[in-house]
Amino acid sequence: MVFIYKQGKQPCFFYENWLISIIIYYIISVVIRMKKDKVLFVIPAYNEEENIEKVLKEIKRDVHYADILVINDCSKDHTEEIVRKNNVHCISNVFNMRYAMAVQTGIKYACENGYDYVIQFDADGQHVAKEAEKLYKHAKETKCDIVIGSRYLKDLGYPCPFFRRVGTKLFEKIIKIFCHKRIADPLSGFQCLNRRVIERYAKMGNYPEFPDANLIIEMLRSGYTVEEIPAKMRLRDAGESMHGGIIKPIKYMIQMFYNIFFILITCPKKKVKTDE
Amino acid sequence: MNNIYFIIIAIFCMIFVFVNVRKKKFSISESFWWMVASFVMLLLAIFPYSIDYIAKLIGVNYPPSLFFVLCIIFLVAMIFRNSKRISAQQEKIIELGQQVSILKAKVEEDKNSKR
Repeated sequence: MVFIYKQGKQPCFFYENWLISIIIYYIISVVIRMKKDKVLFVIPAYNEEENIEKVLKEIKRDVHYADILVINDCSKDHTEEIVRKNNVHCISNVFNMRYAMAVQTGIKYACENGYDYVIQFDADGQHVAKEAEKLYKHAKETKCDIVIGSRYLKDLGYPCPFFRRVGTKLFEKIIKIFCHKRIADPLSGFQCLNRRVIERYAKMGNYPEFPDANLIIEMLRSGYTVEEIPAKMRLRDAGESMHGGIIKPIKYMIQMFYNIFFILITCPKKKVKTDE
Repeated sequence: MNNIYFIIIAIFCMIFVFVNVRKKKFSISESFWWMVASFVMLLLAIFPYSIDYIAKLIGVNYPPSLFFVLCIIFLVAMIFRNSKRISAQQEKIIELGQQVSILKAKVEEDKNSKR
C-alpha cells in the first residue's frame, strides 16, 4: 500500500487505495466461495456384513465428492474386512461402545481432520444416498446447523410399527411445547451437521447414550437452528434393530424422559437469532 | 466384658485395612474413610456409653437406633461416592477408547501408505 503525501493536506491513504482494497476483498471472497466443502459420511456399523457393501457402493455412486468413514463398533463378523476391501476408510473401536459413542468417534475424527459437514448415515441400508445429498445442499443453502431427514414430514409411504409412531408423536409434542418448533421425526438418525455442531459434539463430555430428542432439545435451547426436510427411507433388509424386544423400548422411553427432564432444568433458554 | 470382643474386632478391621494398603491393593486416599470407620468402631467399643450420651444430646429416645442411622448414612455416602466415580471413569474410558481407535486407524493408514 502506498501513502501519498500532498503538501498542506492529511495523508490520504484511504482515498487513494479504496478501489484496490475492494478488488482484493472481492477476489478473496470468491476464493473462499470456490473452496469446496469437505463432507464426511459417518456410518456406525455393528454386525452389518450383509448390508454394508451395498450401502458403500450406493454412496460412492451417488455422492462421489464425499468421504466415507465406517466406524466398526467391534463387530463379531467380517464387517471390517468388507469395508477395507471396498477401499473405504475404517475406524475399528477398541471395545464395543454402543451406537451413540460410535457416532461420537466419527464426529471427533471429523473435527480433527477439518470436515465442514458430517452426515450421519445408517449401515443397514435404510437411508438413501441421494437424500443425503439433499440434506447437505439444504444445510449449505440455509446455513442452519442441523438438518434432519424426516420420515413423517410428508407421507412418503414409510410403514412403521404402532408404538414407534406413538413415541415419535409424543416427542414431537414435547419439542413443540418447550421449543416452539415442529420436528416431526426427532428419532431420526439421518442428520447433517455443520462445523459448529461438530465442534460442540466432539467436545461434549456427556454425550447421551441415545442421542435423539434430548439432544435436539438441548441444541435448540442453546441457540442452534434445527431444520427438517422430508426424506425417503427404505425398510431394513437384514440384521436386527437397535430398539428390538419388549424391555429395551420401555427402558429407552424412561431414560429419554429423564434426560429431557434434566435438560429442561439445567439448560437455560437462549433466544434464537432470526434473520427475518 | 462384652466390649473386649468388639475391641478385638475393631483392631482386626484396622489391621485388615492397613495390610491391604501395604500390599498395594488399596490406595491410601481411598482407604481413609474405612480407616476412620474402624477407628470410630474402636472408640465405641472402648466407650460404649458415649452413644447413649450423644443420643440424649440430640434427643433420640432409643440410642441403638442412632447408631444404625449413622451406619446407614455412612454406607449410603460411600456408595454414592463410588457411583459418582464410576460414571466419571466411564466417561474417561470411553474418551480414551475413542482416541485410541482414531489413532490406531491413523497409524495403520500411515503404515499402508509407506509400503
